[in-house]
Amino acid sequence: MTRLRSTRRLLRLYGLVLLLYAALACWWVYFFSTETTWIVEHVRAAGGDLSPDQVERLREVTSGNARMFLFESAFLFVLLFGSGWLVLRALRREEALVRQQGNFLSAVTHELRSPVASARLYIESLQLGRVDPDKRERYLQHALEDLQRLSDTIDELLAGRSLMERGLALHPESLDLAAHVRRTLERLAALHSASGATLELDAPQPVAALADPVAVDRILDNLVSNGVKYGGKQARVVVSVRRHGRWAELSVRDHGQGLQGLDKARIFEPFVRGGEESVRTQPGVGLGLFIVRELARMHGGDVTVEDRPEGAGTRFTVHLPLQGTAHP
Amino acid sequence: MSGAKLVVVEDEAHLAEVVADNLALEGWQVQVAGDGLRALELIRESRPDLVLLDVMLPGLDGFAVCQKLREAGDQVPILFLTAKSGQGDRLRGLELGGDDYLGKPFDLRELILRVRAILRRTEWMRSPSPAGDVLKLGDARVDFRSYEATAGGRTLQLSAKEILILRCLAERPGEVVARGEILQRVWGYDAFPTTRTIDNFIVRLRRVLEPDPRNPRFIHTVRGTGYRLTP
Repeated sequence: MTRLRSTRRLLRLYGLVLLLYAALACWWVYFFSTETTWIVEHVRAAGGDLSPDQVERLREVTSGNARMFLFESAFLFVLLFGSGWLVLRALRREEALVRQQGNFLSAVTHELRSPVASARLYIESLQLGRVDPDKRERYLQHALEDLQRLSDTIDELLAGRSLMERGLALHPESLDLAAHVRRTLERLAALHSASGATLELDAPQPVAALADPVAVDRILDNLVSNGVKYGGKQARVVVSVRRHGRWAELSVRDHGQGLQGLDKARIFEPFVRGGEESVRTQPGVGLGLFIVRELARMHGGDVTVEDRPEGAGTRFTVHLPLQGTAHP
Repeated sequence: MSGAKLVVVEDEAHLAEVVADNLALEGWQVQVAGDGLRALELIRESRPDLVLLDVMLPGLDGFAVCQKLREAGDQVPILFLTAKSGQGDRLRGLELGGDDYLGKPFDLRELILRVRAILRRTEWMRSPSPAGDVLKLGDARVDFRSYEATAGGRTLQLSAKEILILRCLAERPGEVVARGEILQRVWGYDAFPTTRTIDNFIVRLRRVLEPDPRNPRFIHTVRGTGYRLTP
């Protein structure tokens, strides 16, 4: 933030220079427009005289100078103004980046410390014998869930980092995407049942895809978790698998409030989350959708999002290659 | 202290549960709010003795909750419990009127000790002072019950903390009270990083109460130790 403050100071200084320049230009315009009258008055005051022709000639010379000056100063002003605008734009980008980084650090800190804090307190309470016997199981279960959340966050951070450094190796294999998604979804349904969410699958036909099963699981896990998080109370998340043209299409739809003004292009960038972290409403560190997009692209496919207003939710669609189809 | 009313403001369901259970085991009445706006409502409705306040909350963050309460004149003690435990966040919380700050993850026993310390302090603040309800220093009159100070009919601008420092000194008139002891009784342990804080408060107290702050008549410095009050 110190760097931003010093850049802002520089920008203010730059604005001041522009203002001074504009004031100086005004003064020169005034000077040139009154120059002839001023010279004539001084010559007359000194006892001399100028003929109307001489005055006219003088006026031509000074107005020629004024035109040249006006043209040059306008050009310089456009140059100064343009460079100022470029600096301002760069500063705004940097500000957004610094805010994004700050938000990311806050989110990671929160996501790592909160489950550690609660798991520790559950275990400490058990250790100190401060728990009713009927609550013991519940405390242990909650402590385990906290550790799972911690482990998921660490996995997400590591996967995000690997993808950013392009160090993640993909092992695509022939698989029936419909059957694979069905199995993964059963596991995810059990995981999300506690929140009251329901997961539905719409996969009427087998779809022979060429994809890394571990990557598919992560894509599905991230999109379904997103759907459960943003799908409102007792979220209903519908997953469908289809063949669409040259692609195997995997889509995940929730029925929540949609993107609520979030820029569709930016939601796949790393560390982007809606709003400020200090008034956060959902857990996460802002890497889930970035990971989905990178994994889809590593398969030669991509991910798209459709935002449906009026509570009709959001649909993410991932394209993966079909078997026997060569993709770049 | 037993039966004190506590409000836990925490959006993480697990943390809220385990903190509330453990505080209830100590004999305190505990209520939980899951977001900033609900917290404000609950605090206004139930008038608790202490609020344990998370910083990162949906709707309204913990710092804003604290600020709104203080602006409304609510002096309920606040213990910040938060994952944001950098020095900057800690100081911000205390500047906004928080009483103590505990970074996540924290030790269960430490949490309980800190809650007890704050409740003890609150109890001391509310109890009648052995020095009497009113302290007279020259023209000035400081009321330990209403937390008001006047001199010759006009109100003196003294904060609750400044009045508590005076009370701490007035309870042992003529004796030296160590800086650490004042810090312990007025702020609680570990709330501020340095005892120099007390010196700044004393300078302000002298400016308001002493006829000549450079040659104090009432509040004397005992070099290297603390302060002595001679009413």
